Amino acid sequence: MAKQLGRDQQGITLRGSAEIVAEFFSYGINSILYQRGIYPPETFTRIQKYGLTLLVTTDPELKNYLNNVVEQMKEWLYKCIVQRLVVVISSIENNEVLERWQFDIECDKTAKGESAPREKSQKAIQDEIRSVIRQITATVTFLPLLETACAFDLLIYTDKDLAVPEKWEESGPQFIANSEEVRLRSFTTTIHKVNSMVAYKKDSFP
Amino acid sequence: MQVEFKGEAVMSQDCNDEWELSKENVQPLRQGRVMSTLQEALAQQETSIHTAVQLKKQEFESEIRFYSGDDPLDVWDRYIKWTEQTFPQGGKESNLAAILERAVKALNEQQRYYKDPRYLNLWLKFGNCCNEPLDLYSYLHSQEIGTTLALLYITWAEVLEARGSFKKADLIFQEGLQRKAEPLDKLQSHHRQFQTRVSRQTLLGLEESPDEKDTDLLGAAEPQRSSLADLKGRGKKKVRAPISRVGDALKAANQNRSFQTLTSQQLSNNPGFAVFDENSASGPEIPVLTPQPWTAPPAPRAKENELSAGPWNSGRRPRNSANSGIEVPYPLPSFTPYVEESAQQQVMTPCKIEPSINCVLSARKPEKEEDPLQRVQNHQQDTQEKKEVVMYCKDKVYAGVEEFSLEEIRAEIYRKKAKKKTEEEMQAIAQKKEEIQRKIEELEKKLKKKEDDKQQQLREQPTEITEALPPLGLQGFTFSSATEAGEKQPQLQSESQVFEDTQLHKPSCSEDTQRGNVFLDSEDEQEEQRDEASLGKEDVRLLPPPDPATFFAIFDESSTLANQNISCSADHTQKSARRPLAVRKPSDSLTAKESIPPEACDELNGIEPLTEDAIVTGSYKNKTLCANPEDTCDFVRAAHLASTPFHGVVAQRVPAPAFSQSALKEDCPESKNAPLHQETLVCEGAYNEALCVNKLSPIMEASLEDTRSSGGSVSSGSSLSSVTQVSTIKYLRIPEKLELAQSLHAEMVTDSGGIGENITGDDVTQFLWSAEQRKKLLDPLPESVTASPDFHLETGALPVMEVEKDVELGNETYCIKWKYWTNEEYKMFFAIPANFPQLDAKGFAIKVYSQPVPWDFYITLQLQERLNTEFDQSFSENCSCYLYQDGCAILHRDINRFTLGDVIRGCKSITEEVILLVVYNLLGVVEKLHKAEIVHGDLSPEVFFLGDRICDPFANDEMTRALKIVDFSHSLDLRLQSRVNLPNSFPISQTPHGKQLLVKSSLPYQVDLVGIADIVHLMLFGDHVQVYQENSIWKISQNVSKTVDSDFWSKLFGRILNADGKSTVPLLRELREEINDMFDSCFHERLCESLAALGETFLLENFL
Repeated sequence: MAKQLGRDQQGITLRGSAEIVAEFFSYGINSILYQRGIYPPETFTRIQKYGLTLLVTTDPELKNYLNNVVEQMKEWLYKCIVQRLVVVISSIENNEVLERWQFDIECDKTAKGESAPREKSQKAIQDEIRSVIRQITATVTFLPLLETACAFDLLIYTDKDLAVPEKWEESGPQFIANSEEVRLRSFTTTIHKVNSMVAYKKDSFP
Repeated sequence: MQVEFKGEAVMSQDCNDEWELSKENVQPLRQGRVMSTLQEALAQQETSIHTAVQLKKQEFESEIRFYSGDDPLDVWDRYIKWTEQTFPQGGKESNLAAILERAVKALNEQQRYYKDPRYLNLWLKFGNCCNEPLDLYSYLHSQEIGTTLALLYITWAEVLEARGSFKKADLIFQEGLQRKAEPLDKLQSHHRQFQTRVSRQTLLGLEESPDEKDTDLLGAAEPQRSSLADLKGRGKKKVRAPISRVGDALKAANQNRSFQTLTSQQLSNNPGFAVFDENSASGPEIPVLTPQPWTAPPAPRAKENELSAGPWNSGRRPRNSANSGIEVPYPLPSFTPYVEESAQQQVMTPCKIEPSINCVLSARKPEKEEDPLQRVQNHQQDTQEKKEVVMYCKDKVYAGVEEFSLEEIRAEIYRKKAKKKTEEEMQAIAQKKEEIQRKIEELEKKLKKKEDDKQQQLREQPTEITEALPPLGLQGFTFSSATEAGEKQPQLQSESQVFEDTQLHKPSCSEDTQRGNVFLDSEDEQEEQRDEASLGKEDVRLLPPPDPATFFAIFDESSTLANQNISCSADHTQKSARRPLAVRKPSDSLTAKESIPPEACDELNGIEPLTEDAIVTGSYKNKTLCANPEDTCDFVRAAHLASTPFHGVVAQRVPAPAFSQSALKEDCPESKNAPLHQETLVCEGAYNEALCVNKLSPIMEASLEDTRSSGGSVSSGSSLSSVTQVSTIKYLRIPEKLELAQSLHAEMVTDSGGIGENITGDDVTQFLWSAEQRKKLLDPLPESVTASPDFHLETGALPVMEVEKDVELGNETYCIKWKYWTNEEYKMFFAIPANFPQLDAKGFAIKVYSQPVPWDFYITLQLQERLNTEFDQSFSENCSCYLYQDGCAILHRDINRFTLGDVIRGCKSITEEVILLVVYNLLGVVEKLHKAEIVHGDLSPEVFFLGDRICDPFANDEMTRALKIVDFSHSLDLRLQSRVNLPNSFPISQTPHGKQLLVKSSLPYQVDLVGIADIVHLMLFGDHVQVYQENSIWKISQNVSKTVDSDFWSKLFGRILNADGKSTVPLLRELREEINDMFDSCFHERLCESLAALGETFLLENFL
């Protein structure tokens, strides 16, 4: 933390911003997977991040997979060609999409040409990220119970002209048919702005 | 820049933060929550939303009570779901447990729901409120509720699993699979997951603590943190707090830890743990789940914040113990709670629960100690062996969670009815609209055609038009009449179709609105008159030819539809304005006197009787044995019966709509002459006046003056005012009709009260035979009267009748020859046909009544109807009634000229035989009258015309037909006037003997007995009866012994005078039969001689 604070004074560069956002996705996805019980809770371990205790997976395969995705994201974020990251949670049995976590990314493409770092303290960004992660945790208050075993999928929306890299494939949006959507907080590094949202299956409420 | 970002952050916070701020107050729901509802519920600091929630709740509550569909579960389902969503923090305020309990009770034993997933859900949710859900599940299982649904087994197994009873949980799954519970795949997948979980846990347990596997394996396998676990110290020597650890902390725990295994009573019988082996799961040693009958009631749940019932004085808590808790120093935590940097900004999370909502004093449930499940079961048993019958709609009062008052229920029923009514009305209006629309279109087409015709016509006959049209404009006709006039030209061309259409169109038509507005709105009127005038001019000039559309441009549809009320009243206005036209027709007349809409009485039938019974007891059909004073209708009817000078019951004889319409059509040719229109205008003015008067006082004055003045003025032009007044009240006041009727009734009641207090003879006489009274009784005129072929409604006033003058009744002219008697109100004449001037023994009796009430005629018809075959020559078999505006004449045909009075006066002494004959008939007549529940009220020798038996020398030997009675001036129809009990108001009660014999409590029939006694006495002794009382027995002063048959006469008088309280019909019959016994052949001979003598000595001399 102290190290990060020391870097604060330097402001935000494009590369730094991409790193921060990618890191957020890494922890955010981990949090979702834990909170929603996609993987058994025993396979998670606690770490301190953003001034919170977060749970990250210890499963090597999952870790590996997530790292790959995050690395890829970092690259795209740096290039400012990524628009959206979606975590789709669907039932293993019938592939029905039950939850959809959507992170919209607004890239300030003018930052590409800039050399001077933007002025925003790391602490301020961390505070914002923290509130987003907290909200993810708090969603249990309204999200329906996931009764069946679920799997997750990651969708990344990029600019159109991007060639699909190896290990990635094109996919549909995987929307939920009858869904309730709740906007969560957003955060910005001044270069990348991330708006979060969760959509879930609507029950036949009155 | 920084500022900008912050702003954004704040913005996003604004729309989202409620749920996050209060996340601790939100109970997670299996099916999730609706964010909007959640936000709303959490933001409900404003009382307005709180009220909205209450309203919604109230709505559900009343829906539960008044649900009429076939799926009551639906209402409960929605109610429960709504409650879950709306009260995220749960707790007392949501009352969810109570709602579930009620729902379960209400839908108890509804077999059709047993396979409904909603019903099962209801039970399962209810199970969460119970102390021991497991008990509930086995109950459901034994009752076969939801046993076909996978959800039951899944939930059941989950709970068992959570408690560590994996074996049992697996059994439950097996049972579900065996039953093929739906959806089976879901059950299977749950089972699979369960198995994986268990095997993994078991493996973990095996790996990590092999030593403990025998003892604590199952407990360790699924660590369950028991909330609010008992933390009290245990042990005597060394106090040790029980440890309840979960997860990683568990590994470090030593052997001594104690698990808080929560087991139900049933589970506690579970034999020692056995390691679950998937492969041997189907082995024979596994006990099969058998549906367990419900044995013992489940243990009561220790609800928080509830004291157990006990004596009040022993419940006091020692003070020092309260303090001791404070003195204990609690250890400082070894960790530092994380405090956010930004935390200072927010001092505290705002309180989300409004304190005002938590009404501490409300909703304390009965039988707190009981388990809900037990309550439900008790309830079931109660209903099974219930013996009491609830005499009010208990189910409605207590259907939901909240108690409804009877008023609320009543209001709801009322609202429902009102709503239905409105809907029906709206539908009717819509239909009408459509119809009108169609007709308008039709008419437009035709008018267009007409218009063309007219133009041609105008060109051909320009002069005629100039004659006809200018007055239209000048006199300021209403538009409609102008239209009619305008259409007249084509009509004169013998092409009347359009006009007829218009006529047909009118009664139901919104077109009339325009006319109605003319009456009501003078500005409009002027405007339209101007239009009309210009239209007329255009017509005259023929330049340019009038656009056919102009006519209908004024029938502004939008304005018509805009205000239905106006359209309605205007419609009626139209009718009332038209009425005068019809009056001019000689054959029709209106009795304009009644000021009460006839509907006022009929309206009673339409009123929903507001009885407590009907609403409160609902289907229980509690019978009331007497008229209910709470019932508005009964009350009003009763008020009718206990009536007083109550104005206006003479019927409106003419069936209005048909009459006005047909009359109008026939009158149409007349409408071309201007004077008639003038008159129409007058009538409109009068109408407006009437309307004003009405507004001032809806209570009609019921004085005689009013009646007479309007009656007398019928022939004059101004009579129209009264006519319109009638129709005004009848049609225009419809919205206030009820009110009007009620105020009239009120007036009537007070009047009757006044009379009851100071009864004087005159007043009462007035009251009993007043025109008002009878008018009221015969309003509307009974169909028997109006439908009779002998009933004639005459226009104009009652013709003047005097002796030796001719009078025209119906189509015949009669010459009045004789006046029997006359008084202020009644006259009785003898007349012969004017064209057969020779005087005969037989002729016509004309009874004239100065009030337009055909009372005698009515009584005669009633007698005919009630006596049927017994209605014979003793009554007027052939009479006609002529009802005039101000009076009534009844013509009796085939009447002998002489009355019994003539005989008594003319003969010094009447022979015994004749007297017996007369008395025999007299008794017979009165017997018949009384049998028909009619009291004559004024029996005297004068009212009895001699019958053929006496007057006709060739009459046969039978003993009947000696008397004929036609006058019923003072008669009472006890079927109509059942409550009348005032015998001393009859004329006879003013006589000395009447005063003596008739007491206040006497029956009305008694009056006629006194009359008989008097007549008999007159015939026997030539003077009126004189009576005295001896040993409380009435006797006559005259010595009967001088007469022949003295035994009989004394007996007759004795019985007749002392018949008070007894039924008169059998008495009269008995006496008559006794006379009959005296008739023998020699009696007949003597009778013939006597009658012959009577004819010679008496009748002949009077002939001359």
